[in-house]
Amino acid sequence: MKRTNDLLVGTVVLLVVLTLTGATFWVKQTDIGERRTKVVARFRDVGNARVGNAVVIRGVRAGTIEAIELARGGWVHMRMNLDRSMQLPATPVVLLNESSLFGEWQATITPRSALPHDETVQAQVEESSGGGEVLPGATLPDIAKLTAVAGQIAGDVANVAGRVEVAFDERAARELRSSIRNFADLSTTLSHTVRTHAGDLDTLSRGLQSAVASLNRTATSAELMASRIDSSSSSGQIRQMVDDMSHAAAELRRATVQVRVMSEQLSKTQGQLDAFLTNGDSVLVKLNTGQGSLGLLLNDPSLYRNGDSLLTQLRGLVTEVRKNPKKFVSVRLF
Amino acid sequence: MRWSPEAGYFGLPPFRYRAMTNASTVLPDAAIGAMRRVPTARALTTLGRATRHGLEAIGASVRFAARTIGAVRDVGTWGPAATLQMRRLGVDSVPIGVFIAVFTGIVLALLASYSFTGAVPTYFVGTLVEKTITMELAPVLTGLALAGRVGANIAAELGTMRVTEQIDALETLGYDPHAYLVVPRVLAGTIMFPVVVGAAMLTGVASGWLASIGLLDITSPDFVKGLRLFYSGFDVRYGLVKAASFGFVVTLIGSIRGLRASGGAEGVGRAATSAVVFSAILILVFDAFWAVTWLLGRRP
Repeated sequence: MKRTNDLLVGTVVLLVVLTLTGATFWVKQTDIGERRTKVVARFRDVGNARVGNAVVIRGVRAGTIEAIELARGGWVHMRMNLDRSMQLPATPVVLLNESSLFGEWQATITPRSALPHDETVQAQVEESSGGGEVLPGATLPDIAKLTAVAGQIAGDVANVAGRVEVAFDERAARELRSSIRNFADLSTTLSHTVRTHAGDLDTLSRGLQSAVASLNRTATSAELMASRIDSSSSSGQIRQMVDDMSHAAAELRRATVQVRVMSEQLSKTQGQLDAFLTNGDSVLVKLNTGQGSLGLLLNDPSLYRNGDSLLTQLRGLVTEVRKNPKKFVSVRLF
Repeated sequence: MRWSPEAGYFGLPPFRYRAMTNASTVLPDAAIGAMRRVPTARALTTLGRATRHGLEAIGASVRFAARTIGAVRDVGTWGPAATLQMRRLGVDSVPIGVFIAVFTGIVLALLASYSFTGAVPTYFVGTLVEKTITMELAPVLTGLALAGRVGANIAAELGTMRVTEQIDALETLGYDPHAYLVVPRVLAGTIMFPVVVGAAMLTGVASGWLASIGLLDITSPDFVKGLRLFYSGFDVRYGLVKAASFGFVVTLIGSIRGLRASGGAEGVGRAATSAVVFSAILILVFDAFWAVTWLLGRRP
């Protein structure tokens, strides 16, 4: 009985211990007998990657993270167990990233050419390169960081929207509508101007065409004249013509000087006339506004009435003098 | 000079004894009776008595445990009986632990699937089943079940031996009851509870796995993925250490209650009942103790 008990207890204990150990090894995917390839990568920061997380090559689970430990130079070395059948890509790089929204991380082994076009990641890989057998690694931002950045951006957008709401009130909207209307008027005017000047351009173009035709004709005439000059140069007529033209040019220069002097005098006269007109305008303004004695004289109706009354009295006085001069003129000798 | 709570010293209640030995504090019986009728004084007396009984019980248990640990040195006495107790307390309890774990695993998988509808991926059913079974449900549920079976068994057995004076006979024959009766049971419980709980862990996770495949829309690779996702060796260690502490507590309480049984069959029944109740309470207390001391602040 005692031996039976011993056997039974021993069997149960061994069975449970072995099963539990085997199950633990199976769940942890422990590498018994070193049947896997070991790969080491280095990072500045491994984020939330943990021992036991998956290692993935082109989306296929290829092994697990076996150990994460601090190394010299501020590096973190991550040792990974890979299935022997798995082949690393050319120029492999290890990226640590979240595999889901629930905090799971994984190590992705990818060729350097397939790295995401992200400056931070590229910089991390460049920095961690050159470690010999140790693969370069980079850590992608986790969801929390991205969410934080997104939240910050959302806050900034909200601020901008708030400011726009403050700045773009009803008055600003009215002004904007007015500006749009002005711009429409301006564009209409410009269109009209363009149409108008298009006609002028047509006219100018036609003028240029006729000028070119005239030039052609002039060239023909000049050619004819040159042939005549050529034919007449032998008889001294050209010399005479040159002398005459020289004389005419001298006359023209003198006439030009006289015209310039006249022009200067005319300019001075114009200036004096402008000053006179300005003064006259000022005097007229003063007269009209009733400034000065003359202005008062012109603008005060009582003066006119007094003058008119005086004239009437003078006329009566003259009539009275004519009728009865002795009344007013008394000649006494003594 | 012998003392007992009922008789006090020299057959007098303690209060009267203290009053009689100190002339300055001698009170007439009428005054004592009046004090006992005051509700506040009565409440304070009850509180003091309860505190004293609690401290006495703790002290007695600690002394009992210390004496049991001291008796471990007497291997020749407890050794021959150890495997018998391991079979009775451990091996014979495996079916109970496995039976509980089967249904716990199934219910847990269904509950997790029900809770995870929506945004949470279904493979988290595996994670939840593994974590909950190994760290909490297998040790606690198995411990509670074994508290009923093992604790009551030990208390009844030792209590019967006590009331039938078999233990007195052992002492007369020169046997240490602690080495002969308590140590094999406590050691068997401490060693075999983790074994039973280990079997319950395996069974619970396996039944949860099968339930996920058979009853839920979860594939086997998905369940295994969730199982492996956050698995840590600490989970199993934590559950097994808890189970060992539960085994120690259940067998020790059963032994204490059994050896203190008195009053015939009725006393034996009271001992068994109180052993189960105290074992269950202490299992939950130790569960919280391990969570606070070992889990709090720990990062997976």
